This record gives sequence, structure tokens and C-alpha cells, in this order.
Amino acid sequence: MDLSVCKITKRFKNRTVLADISFDVGPRELVSIVGPSGVGKTTLLKIIAQLDRPDAGVVNFSHPPTKKHPVIIVFQDYVLFPAMTVRGNIGFGLRARKMGKQQIGFQVDRMLDYFQLANMGEHYPSQLSAGQKQRVAIARAMIVNPAVLLLDEPFANLDRNLKMETARFIRQTQQAFGIPTISVTHDLEEAFAMSDRIGVLLDGRLRQFDTPKQVYFNSASPNVARFLGPVNTIPEDVFARFQVNGYNGGRNSSGVILARPENLIMTADEEGPGRIVEKTFAGHYSAYTIDLQGTAYTAYSQDDRFMPGQRVVLTLKPY
Amino acid sequence: MSSTSSLILKLSPLALPYLALFCGGVFLTVCQSFGLLTPLPYPGGMVDAYLELLTDSSFFASFVFSLGVAAVSAASAVTIGTLLAYRIWKLPGRLATVALVYKIPLVLPHIAVAFVVLVFWSQSGILASAAHQLGLIRSMTEFPNVLYSGWGIGMILAYTLKGTPFAMLLVMAMLVRFDARQIQTADMLGASGLRIFFSVVLPRLAPAMHTGFIILFLYSFGAFDIPYILSESRPGMLSIQVYNLYFKHDLARRPEAMAILTIMFGFAVLFIVAYSKVVRRLEDGVRKL
Repeated sequence: MDLSVCKITKRFKNRTVLADISFDVGPRELVSIVGPSGVGKTTLLKIIAQLDRPDAGVVNFSHPPTKKHPVIIVFQDYVLFPAMTVRGNIGFGLRARKMGKQQIGFQVDRMLDYFQLANMGEHYPSQLSAGQKQRVAIARAMIVNPAVLLLDEPFANLDRNLKMETARFIRQTQQAFGIPTISVTHDLEEAFAMSDRIGVLLDGRLRQFDTPKQVYFNSASPNVARFLGPVNTIPEDVFARFQVNGYNGGRNSSGVILARPENLIMTADEEGPGRIVEKTFAGHYSAYTIDLQGTAYTAYSQDDRFMPGQRVVLTLKPY
Repeated sequence: MSSTSSLILKLSPLALPYLALFCGGVFLTVCQSFGLLTPLPYPGGMVDAYLELLTDSSFFASFVFSLGVAAVSAASAVTIGTLLAYRIWKLPGRLATVALVYKIPLVLPHIAVAFVVLVFWSQSGILASAAHQLGLIRSMTEFPNVLYSGWGIGMILAYTLKGTPFAMLLVMAMLVRFDARQIQTADMLGASGLRIFFSVVLPRLAPAMHTGFIILFLYSFGAFDIPYILSESRPGMLSIQVYNLYFKHDLARRPEAMAILTIMFGFAVLFIVAYSKVVRRLEDGVRKL
């Protein structure tokens, strides 16, 4: 199963929320659409799930979804059925298919084991943590072998330290079940970690759709680059200062290079053109602000020996 | 002054009338049912009124009949009210606003609803007349004697008509807070409309339905106005029996009327306790998100 989203446009009253959105998702592929809050990500998911209708455009499936193999959204707050136990929630889709009790029990047990919920079967949703609720919601969707799985802000209600673990789990689960999955999120690190491809949705338009590395290091525009994280803009007249020969990263149409702070390498040099003006401790790295010909550049380094006032040479490292 | 005394003092404007009117009324009723504090000295023993009732088969017939009418009408009103509320809730916004006409019977007095039923369902009523005009029956007297069939159908119709919008109001209050995405999710998972209603929606509406049932059941069980217009003499509703004993017999039988009222009050309390316990047991462990 694969699907392609073709020229989707959606307006609410006179405001265009989504304009001309097109991308495709291959079988067994996990795609994330990232963008700031309120940009229309959830609307896009609802259109793909046929819960909302676009004003223009179409979603094409290689095999149209059926009642048996539906498109399923796992909503941001999971929308578990509160009057059913975990077991009841997970088995709901199978009961709807009028499957035998024994077979339902067998399949639900398998899901409980896979999703590490084996001792939670008789719990009610109100007794679960956010992470457990999410696993129940994904298990409830996966058990019916959906044509496409849609995840709406899967990390929004999770503690920070749980997010990356969940991203890995989603990736692992998606690969294990082989179901094409689209996730919309504004949690960038997690999206990078779990996705095959990423789309950047800004101002209602899909500005870039590519692999995570390509989108991050070779952003299509300064806006996309800035949305994905701190970025330095290196104008053409100082390329020589950064020894950019051979750099294959983002160079946009106006000729400037968009360089991530982690791609700027500092070397101590008393004659160097740059001067460190600020140093900020950020945990596993330090962020340095370097003044070079009146322009401030940011560089990340795990080397903690650089000090404010020190002169340095900046080199652009290819990614 | 302690916080408890202060609280009692603050509540006294509400608590005092309640104590005087409700508790005082119950106390006087119970006393009079034992032949105490009656307007004239009661010649019988303290439990004579109860003995009289408990050895009278017509009292039990009335009790069972009242229970039946109350149970059927409350269950019908809650069932119809819940289904209608769900339908209205699912309507598009503009139509749902128009559907608010369902609240109209709420403002009608019970006695008016009794007359509405009478006007429509009696053998000389609108439906009989319509059936006759349409040639379905040869004369209006052939129209089924719905109101006085001995099954209390007239009262059940009236109580259902009056109780349905009340049940809808309670259920609507729950539906307003109901997350429609639960229905979308159940639908995506392949559930039919019936399964969605019974498995997903109904459990969330159950608290309002139980509350509605208790209120409507107890009201129908003890109310006087609708039975006064629509009830039959045998078996009669308990409220009519109380009225007859109190106003249409000599003062010596007033303790019997009070004994019926006391039994009805005791039954109402027991019913609420038992019903709540059963519901709590059925919903044990079910918590809301």
C-alpha cells in the first residue's frame, strides 16, 4: 500500500489553511510532516483519513482503504474509550469485525505483550500514564492491520525524557508491522529520529519534502532552515574565510550558504579572523557566538576550552 | 465561634425552612400514621392503620400498579429521551438549534399534559376522530379504549410525554461534553452505528440516564395530578388512594392515608439506596478520562 497526496487545498472561511500540498508515502515508509502549531497539520491528517474534505485536490491510495483495512488516526490525546479496559480498547476493532472470542483474546494478548502492557489488560484508561495510553491507542489501531496509520502529535503529551524513547518505539513498531505511517508533529528531534522522509509545512504550504538529513542540512529556504533549528547565513563574500570549497550543503538561490552551528569548526588561532564574544553551556556541548567581520555566527563544540575574547578560525565542515 | 458553628449559621437561612417544612412534614406524617398528633383523638392502636393496609389486597394491587406505571413510564421516557437527544446531537448545528423545540413540554404543567393525552387518545379524541374520518373505523367508539384499558396506558403516555424532554435535557448535558472523536475512532476501527451507540456512547450517558430514571420513577410513583385525570378506579394509583382516604372518608381513616404516604416515602428512600448500589456495582472500576 502506498498513497499520494495531490494538490490538496483547504480553506476555512476566507483563510487558506492548506495550499497545493503534494507528497507521497511509500509502502512501509514513515513520513513526518513538521510545522509550527496551527499551521494545518491536523487538518491535513483529517483529510487523508477522510474525516474532512479538501476544497481541491485528492488523496490517492494504491489500494483504496476499506472498512476492513481502514485509515486510522491516533489522536494527540489518544481518545481511548474510558468505559473499556485496556483489553477492551485493544480488542474493539476485532469485536467490530465479529471475530470469535478466543481469537480476539489470542490477538489481544499478543498486542499486550508486544506493547509491554501485559499486566495492564484489566486497567481502565484513567489508570494509565500518557505513554501507556499512547501504546494502547497504537495497539488498538495496529490490531486491525490498517491500510495507513496517521499519528497526530504523538509526542505532545509525553515527558521530555520519554519522547525520544517513544520515537524509537514508533519507528520499531512501524517497521515490525510494515504499515505506511504519517505523523504530524512539531517535535523536530523525534521526527528526525523516526522518519524516512520529512515534510516541512510553513504558512500552509509544503516547503520541502525530503530525507531528514537533506531537509536539515540542505534546507530549501532560510525559513525552512530557521524552523528546523539555529542556522548561520554565510554570504558569498566571506566564503574564503570559511574554506567552503567542496562544501555540498545548503547553498540557496541567492548564493548564501545556510550552515548549522554544528557544522562550523573552530580552531584556536591568534591571527584568526573571528573572535569569541559569548560562550553558553548547553549540556553536552557549548554554544559559542563568534564575531567575524561584524557578523555574529554561532558554533557548537564539545570542546570546552575556548574562552570569550579568544581569536579563532572558522571552517565549514561538509555534512 | 468554631468553623462548624459558623458553617451551620451560614446555612441556616436554607436549612431552617428545609427542617421546618420537609422534615417537619415527614415527622407529622409519620406521627399521624401511628395515630398521634391527629386533629381528633384516634380511637385505634398505634399500628392499626398499617395493619389495615397490610391486610388489604387492594392496597398491594395499587402498590404494584403504581410501581408498574412508574417503571414503564420512566424507562420509556429515558429510552426515548436518550435516543432523541443522541439524534439531535448528531444533527448539523443549524438543525440542532431548531430541534430545541423539544424543551416545550418541559414548561407545560403535568395537568396540561394529561389533557393533551386525553384530547388525543380518548375514544372521543383527535386520533379516534381521524381514524373515523379516514375510514379505518366505522364509529369512534370502535377506537381502542387506550386510556382506560386497566393497564394505566393513559398515565404512562402522559408521564412519558412529560418525562422525555426532561431525560433529553439531562442526556444533552452529557453529550455537550462528549468527545465526538470517540465516535470517529470507533467508526475508523470498523464499528457499526449500533455498536458505537451501545459500546461507546451509552456508557458515557449512563449516569444521566440513571439520574433521570430515579427522578422520573419516583415522581410518577407518587404524583397525583396525572392520575387524577387519567387513572382508573381499580386498580388505582396510590396517590389517588391517599386522596380518597384523606378527603373522602371520615377523619378516623386519616392515619391510613398517612401510613400509605409513610410507606411510599420509605420505599423511595430504599429505592434510591438500592438503585445507587446496583449502579455502582455495575460501573465498578469504570472511570472517566
